[in-house]
Amino acid sequence: MKSRTKVALLTALAAATGWSQEITVQGTTIAQMWKQEIPGFDKATFTPATQYLGIDATKLGTEKLSLHLFGWGRVDLADSSTLDGSKGGGYLNYGYLQYRFDQANAEIKAGRFTVNQSTGFEQVDGVSARTDLRGGFTASAFYGAPVLYKTVDPISRADYRFQRDVIFGSRLAWRLPRVMEVGVSYLQDGTKAAKDLPLPSATDYTRKQLGMDLLLTPTTILDLRGRTVLDVASHADVAPGAKEPSKIAEHDYTATLKLGSQVSVSGNFVERNFFAYFAGTNLPSLFRQDERGMFKAWGGKVAWTTAASFQVTADYRHTHRETTGDANRFGGDMIWDFNEKSVLLGAGGHWVNAADTKFVDPAAPYRSLSYKEARVWTLITKGKFSASLDGILQRYNHENPYLAGLRNVYEAVGSLGYQVTSNLKLSGDLSYGSNPVSKNETRGLLRAEYRFGTAKKGGQ
Amino acid sequence: MTRKSILQVFGVILGLGMLMACGLISPEASFAATHPDGLGVGKPMCSECHTNEVSKGALKPYATFDHTPTFVQDHRFQANQDVNTCGACHAQSFCTDCHGGKVPMKPATRLSDRPDRVAPHRGDFLTLHKIEGKLDPTSCYKCHGRANNDKCLTCHR
Repeated sequence: MKSRTKVALLTALAAATGWSQEITVQGTTIAQMWKQEIPGFDKATFTPATQYLGIDATKLGTEKLSLHLFGWGRVDLADSSTLDGSKGGGYLNYGYLQYRFDQANAEIKAGRFTVNQSTGFEQVDGVSARTDLRGGFTASAFYGAPVLYKTVDPISRADYRFQRDVIFGSRLAWRLPRVMEVGVSYLQDGTKAAKDLPLPSATDYTRKQLGMDLLLTPTTILDLRGRTVLDVASHADVAPGAKEPSKIAEHDYTATLKLGSQVSVSGNFVERNFFAYFAGTNLPSLFRQDERGMFKAWGGKVAWTTAASFQVTADYRHTHRETTGDANRFGGDMIWDFNEKSVLLGAGGHWVNAADTKFVDPAAPYRSLSYKEARVWTLITKGKFSASLDGILQRYNHENPYLAGLRNVYEAVGSLGYQVTSNLKLSGDLSYGSNPVSKNETRGLLRAEYRFGTAKKGGQ
Repeated sequence: MTRKSILQVFGVILGLGMLMACGLISPEASFAATHPDGLGVGKPMCSECHTNEVSKGALKPYATFDHTPTFVQDHRFQANQDVNTCGACHAQSFCTDCHGGKVPMKPATRLSDRPDRVAPHRGDFLTLHKIEGKLDPTSCYKCHGRANNDKCLTCHR
C-alpha cells in the first residue's frame, strides 16, 4: 500500500473518533538529556523528545464498534541521538477498527493490528476474525500485508519487499472446559520464496510455519503448557553429504506444580533449531540462515509467596548451544510489599557460569563469558508523591575483551513523581553509571503521563 | 462436466457451507469487553475474587491467569491461546511497551520510574548482549529477529 494511502486511511480513522460516545486518550511525553565526550571526537549533546499517543474510541455509532490507535514520534532538539544520524522518526504501532459480536466472543478487526497464535506474534496490515464454535472449538484467521522493516542495504530491501507480498494464517483449537486446550496454527509470510525466483536470492525472507499449542490442567495443582513450531516451507536441496536441517523450529514447554497456596515449582524445556527458527529474518547477517546448529535449555523455578506479601523465587537454567557450549544460570529474586503496596522493596542476584564456552574469538579462544549480576530497587508511594531507586551491578570475569579494562559495570536510577491530578502524572529520573562505552555516564529524563476519557475502567 | 455445472456445484457447496458455518457458531454470550471493576495497584491474582470459577471466554480456571512470577515470565502461552482475555484488562499499548514493532527507546528506559515492572534491558545491556547473544541468540530473536532491529543493523551488517 502506498504511503499516501496509509496516511489518508490513518487520518480517516482518527477523524472517526468524533462519532464515538466514549473515548480515552492516553499519552506519555518524555524528554531526555545526556552529553558525550570522547577523546578525539566532537562533544555532543543529546536531547531527544518522544511522544507516545494512544486513542481508544468505543461505541462508534453502535455499541459494538470501536477504534484503537497507538503510535509514537521522536525529534532530536540538539544532536542526533540515533545511530543512523536521523533527527526524527515515528511509527504507528497499531490502528484498527474492531467489531465485537454479542455472541461467541466473535470479533472482526481491520487495519494495523497484532496477531498472537502458536507461531508467534505478528504485525499485520489487513483483516482478522475470530469466533467460538459449538463443541468447544474456536477458529481465527487473518490476512493482509506484512508490516515491513529495514534491511541491511537497498538491494536487500527490494528483495525483502518483493518476497513478503502477503501474510495470512489461521488457528483452530479445541477446549475441554477446565481441563485442556489444544490448538493448531498455520502461518504463511510471503508467497515468493527465494528458491522459486528466476534469479534465486541469497536470502529467503518468507516463512511457512505450522504450530501446535497445548494447555493441560488435569488437576487444580498441576498444569502443563507449551508449543511446538515446525518449518513446513520447502527449501533448496542441501549439498551432497551435508546434514539436512531440522524442520523443528521450536519446542517450548513449561510444567507448574502448586504445593499448597504459597509455593509453586515450575520446570521448562526449550529446543530451537536455528535454520528453521530464524526463517523470515530481515537481519540474516546476524540471525544466520545457513546456521544448522541447535540450542537447548532446561531449568526450573521455585516461587514462595507468603501471606505477608513477601515473594521469593529461586531459579536455575542450563543452556547448550552446539557452537559455543554450555552455560548455567542460577540465582534468585525477592519482592517485599508492605504498607498495602505503598512501599515495594526488591532484590535479586544471578550468576551466569559460562566458563567452558568454546572458541568464539580468534584472539581469545576459550574465553570465559561468565558474569554475575545483582539488583536492588525500591518504589515508594505516599499520597500524590512517588519515588523509586533502582541499582544494578554486573561483574564480569577478567580477560573479557569487551570491557575496555572495566570489570564492574553499574547503573543507578533515581526517580521522583507527582500525581498532579487523577489524569496527569509528572516524573523525573536521574541516572548515573559506568560502562565500557562511557566510563562516567549521567542522564536526565522528564516524563508526563496523561489519560483523559469517558470510557469505563479496564484497558490499562 | 461443463464449466457451468462445475460452477453450480461449487456455488451449492459454498452456500451449504455458509449455512452450516452459521449453525456451527457458539450460541454463548460473549464475555465483557473490559473488566467491570477497576483493579488495584500491582499484579492481580484473579483467583482471589474468582475462586473456583471457570473464565467465560477462555474456559479455564481463573487461577490460570494469576499474575505469578511464572505467569509473567511465560505469559506467551496464555497470549497465544487467550489474547482477548488479556484484552479485558490490558490495552494493546501495554503489550507494545516491550513488543512494539519499532520502539524509540528500550523498555527499561521508558519504565525507569517503575522498577517493579519486568522491563527488559535494565543496566548496560549493550555490553551484556555480546555475551547473551552468543549463549542464546534465540532470546534476542523473539523481539528483534524480524522487527524492532534498526539499531542492530548499525553494527550487524
